[in-house]
Amino acid sequence: MESQHNQPSPGKFWNWFNPVGRKTGGWAFILNRITALGLTFYLFLHLIVLGQLAKGPEGYDSFIALMKNPIAVFGELLVVAAGIIHGLNGIRIALTTFGVSISTQKQLFYALMAIALIAILFFGIRMFTA
Amino acid sequence: MSTIIQNISKPRAGESTWLWLIKILTGGLLVILLLVHLIVNHFVVEGGLMTYANVVAYFQNPWIVFMEICFLATVVSHSLIALRSILLDMNPAPNVLNIINWVLGVVGVGAVVYGVWLALTIASK
Repeated sequence: MESQHNQPSPGKFWNWFNPVGRKTGGWAFILNRITALGLTFYLFLHLIVLGQLAKGPEGYDSFIALMKNPIAVFGELLVVAAGIIHGLNGIRIALTTFGVSISTQKQLFYALMAIALIAILFFGIRMFTA
Repeated sequence: MSTIIQNISKPRAGESTWLWLIKILTGGLLVILLLVHLIVNHFVVEGGLMTYANVVAYFQNPWIVFMEICFLATVVSHSLIALRSILLDMNPAPNVLNIINWVLGVVGVGAVVYGVWLALTIASK
């Protein structure tokens, strides 16, 4: 699993969907990729939808009204969760890239994901009770 | 030591050191910019910018427009360079990689131009 970082091949692409035999680093990697793809999808969706703002108040305000249903709020929570996980995990990647906390990165990963879990719960409660 | 070094981020085959470094640095910058983006859009005004009038009023502040454009350019660069990293794992042939580079470049420039146009359009309402 560790070596798939730097040696591209078509099989390696599908490998990261495979949960069998993953170590902590493998889980961090798969988590980072899934959230990355989700956030990229959301980014372009967000940009397209905000195009409503150029058309005037009707389009945008009716879109916001539509987004208040629980399914849309759940979708937003997924985006928030992906952002928190990807951002905190990314901090670990950036730190270790510059030589910080390399030997303790497993602990760092668990600590950051614990923070992520608490933050996701906080936003989940906040978004569904607002 | 060698096993530890294998577990840190480094450029892939087919990814220049510059692109890789930009991906890491924009990632760090995004932690800050995303926080600012969320605070500005959801927490400064009570309940967030939830109406067209609210958004237009907020975009009258040039610093908001500037911040959103910086955020846009950073997040688009980060996401498309990273998408290229993921595609590189499929080991594309050189001509396919060439197409990927062009498509991602056009999408990236297009997204930023569109976003700047949108931000300035809202600001001028």
